[in-house]
Amino acid sequence: MTSLLLAIAVGSLFATGTYMIMRRGQIKLILGLALLSHGVNLLLFGSGKLTAGRPPIFLDKKHYTETLAAFQPADPLPQALILTAIVISFGITAFVIVLVNRRHTVTATDYVHGELVPLLREGDPFDFSEPSDIDQYDWLAYEVDEVYDSDDLPLGFPPTPQSEQDESAAMEEESYRWP
Amino acid sequence: MPELYLRLLNRILTPLLLLLAIYLLLRGHNLPGGGFIAGLMAAAAFELQILSRGHERVRRSIGPYLNSGIGLGLAIAICSGFAGLLNGVFFKGLWFDLHVPLLGELAVGTPVIFDLGVFLVVVSVATSYLLGLSRVSDSAAPNPDGAPSPELSDSFETDPTGVADDSRVRNKR
Amino acid sequence: MALNANLLAAPVAAPLLTAALILLFARWGGRTLIRHQVALTALALCLNLGIVLTLFYGAAVQGRRFVLQFGNWTAPFGITAYGDGLSATLLLMTAIVALAVYPFAVATIDYHRARMGFHPLYLFLLMGVNGAFLSGDLFNLYVFFEVLLMASFVLLTIGAQPAQTNSGIRYVVLNLLASTVFLVAAGVAYGTLGSLNMAQIAERLPLAAPAVRTVFAGLLMVAFGSKAALFPLFFWLPASYHTPPPAVTALFGGLLTKVGIYTLFRSFTLFFPELLLSWQPALLTIAGATMLVGALGALAQPGIRRVLSFHIISHVGFILMGLAVALSGNSLAIGFGLGAAILYLCHHMIIKTALIMAGGAVELYMGSDRLASIGGLVTRQPLLAFLFFMASISLAGVPPFSGFVSKLSLLQITLDTHHWVVSGVSLFASLLTMINMMRLWRESFWGDYSRPSRVPSRILQSTIRQQLMLIPVGALVLLSLGLGIFGERAFNLTMRVAQHALDRDAYIEAVSPSTLHSSGLRSGAFNVTGPKFPDSSTHLFASLGEPPWPAR
Repeated sequence: MTSLLLAIAVGSLFATGTYMIMRRGQIKLILGLALLSHGVNLLLFGSGKLTAGRPPIFLDKKHYTETLAAFQPADPLPQALILTAIVISFGITAFVIVLVNRRHTVTATDYVHGELVPLLREGDPFDFSEPSDIDQYDWLAYEVDEVYDSDDLPLGFPPTPQSEQDESAAMEEESYRWP
Repeated sequence: MPELYLRLLNRILTPLLLLLAIYLLLRGHNLPGGGFIAGLMAAAAFELQILSRGHERVRRSIGPYLNSGIGLGLAIAICSGFAGLLNGVFFKGLWFDLHVPLLGELAVGTPVIFDLGVFLVVVSVATSYLLGLSRVSDSAAPNPDGAPSPELSDSFETDPTGVADDSRVRNKR
Repeated sequence: MALNANLLAAPVAAPLLTAALILLFARWGGRTLIRHQVALTALALCLNLGIVLTLFYGAAVQGRRFVLQFGNWTAPFGITAYGDGLSATLLLMTAIVALAVYPFAVATIDYHRARMGFHPLYLFLLMGVNGAFLSGDLFNLYVFFEVLLMASFVLLTIGAQPAQTNSGIRYVVLNLLASTVFLVAAGVAYGTLGSLNMAQIAERLPLAAPAVRTVFAGLLMVAFGSKAALFPLFFWLPASYHTPPPAVTALFGGLLTKVGIYTLFRSFTLFFPELLLSWQPALLTIAGATMLVGALGALAQPGIRRVLSFHIISHVGFILMGLAVALSGNSLAIGFGLGAAILYLCHHMIIKTALIMAGGAVELYMGSDRLASIGGLVTRQPLLAFLFFMASISLAGVPPFSGFVSKLSLLQITLDTHHWVVSGVSLFASLLTMINMMRLWRESFWGDYSRPSRVPSRILQSTIRQQLMLIPVGALVLLSLGLGIFGERAFNLTMRVAQHALDRDAYIEAVSPSTLHSSGLRSGAFNVTGPKFPDSSTHLFASLGEPPWPAR
């Protein structure tokens, strides 16, 4: 019975997580990733023995074999695995949140656009004659590293030139409205 | 503006949280606790500081040491692994019994040192993450003229004014 | 020389310790501190190469198997590190690639990115890759995957340009999904087999229910195939590889998909070698589709690094083809396919890194990567043009280079086992590779000189930086030439490595000796009679029945 409930919980967490990831909004994406990682954690939890109120901790280290035989404590390995998985998903969720936030400040939009949208919009993907600014190199925009030579610069991101910033953001918007 | 109650609470809670963190760190080898949990507890204390005193002050006081804290923690953790080489195998635990006045016998070993490294890494990483998020949330705060933040608008068409707002944020920085 | 098993910890510990020292002493400060970071990182990379060469000599040349049980906790309780010929070969290639990309990175990474911690991240990525090659434990493999993914996330998005953050989100989400599937596989393994140690999983899988085997194999195939960018799961790669600085792309293209391929090699040969025969049609179909989609996709791409990143996918298909025929050697030896695949993997790591670096140099000189708008660089940079050409024909498989030997051996085994269709597809994909490479070379070096960028490339105004960019490309091309000239010797070595990897009984014996169950543990404090194997009445996988092995 307990395992059936656990299986249902794992399944519904996976389903909601997948659904949330499929949506375009980024906050939903983060929520979906969190739900998925919870689903996996529950699944790892279910891979061990399900016990209640019997922690895998021995205070009396001298007689632990007797305690083990009489007490049947919980399996510690799934707990260790879950703890590790939680740590990792904590780190990654933190990173994704900062990334989404950064992306929001840079491109002023919450949506991820399709990679091939500009290509499709141009019609013929084999026609390379017409240069498109989407493929312009923006990482080159601040390779001018002499500018950042002074030590008194505040820690953070360098200013992108204003014109390019507007261009790329507008271009993103336009590419998204394609169909 | 930092809240008054929060500032009051901060004075009481921060030392308590830090003490609790150290307690959790030391009891972690045989009982529930350990470096990760203690690190999160200490990071919670720093987050309380950020909330009550503003992130600039916290950044000024502990910000410069965070990267060094990560490095120091990693170095300590890996060196406790190297200490096991004295006993033949990497990460083999070494234990000493220490006589500490007032506390009696204390078993100190390389796992405890490893935990200390984990504690330092976790506290530094979590605090720098919280500091970073607080700065980001500052810059992404709603504008005074009341334009809706594009992050919150759920419609398919994003607000065209979002670009202009965003550029203002960048100029300010 | 006496080689201690503790050496296995060194490829992980050396980069980690150096990165920790850099973080400890660098306050992201001024130029001199960056110089110290560069010096420390270069030192660590050289040290790593030295350690790995020693390991390679012991494992691949002498044929030994190294097993390190961390903290002397025996196999199912502790963490196991395992190094044999296959891991040592990949470690060696990783060390070479990392050392070769580093001068290029020093020359082209701007001061801002170095201040944000590029150099320690480089070491963290190296540490993750090394750890994934060495781990002998499924969960530890997951952890090292995450370490390298975390480092690659940050390296991919460092600088936070709009294109980078866009592609970063795709990359992060798709890789996280793959990791989630991998973690599910680990949970299934623990729930049904009662262990996460790879040797014990291999020992118990033949006794488990067929459904367990299929589900486990399918989950691992999806997870590792997604990391390796196999056919239906490759979309994260071309969406992201063209956005970071070229040094990062070169590092990723040399290392990241190869970890997925290594785990496919390891899991298929160790866990379910019988599936290499029964799933062979499916594997060959995936391989053919990967080759074809990669090559055709590259044909449609407008930029240098986009073309090259699609070629990574295409060549992963070649390597999978070698794995699929690994156990079905007819007149050639069993394992010939795997040996050819390992040789191809080495060739691919070397030459793909060189090509991406050369392509990145072109982009830096031109300020753009659009093939339509650049051209005529051959008069300004004849050496770069020469090196790019040599690397291109090596990738396409022209005789004096390593591409020829590895492609020839792969084709030989597929033709010998009568897989006509997939060998035809691989020949067609090779032809497309040739066409693509010539297109790249013609568009970027031939014609009138045109430089479309508005931005002056100040990075390239010092000669020392230009030399730092070109020397590693030249060294890698020379290495590829050497691998091609001494092809027979290299192939004999990889054949031996493949035989080594296919010997699963020796792996199991080396990691967890079969006396474990009867005589208890050698040194641990635990004398376990208790609940190590989950009680089958209450856990999630209870319906699969009683395990056939004794509960310890």
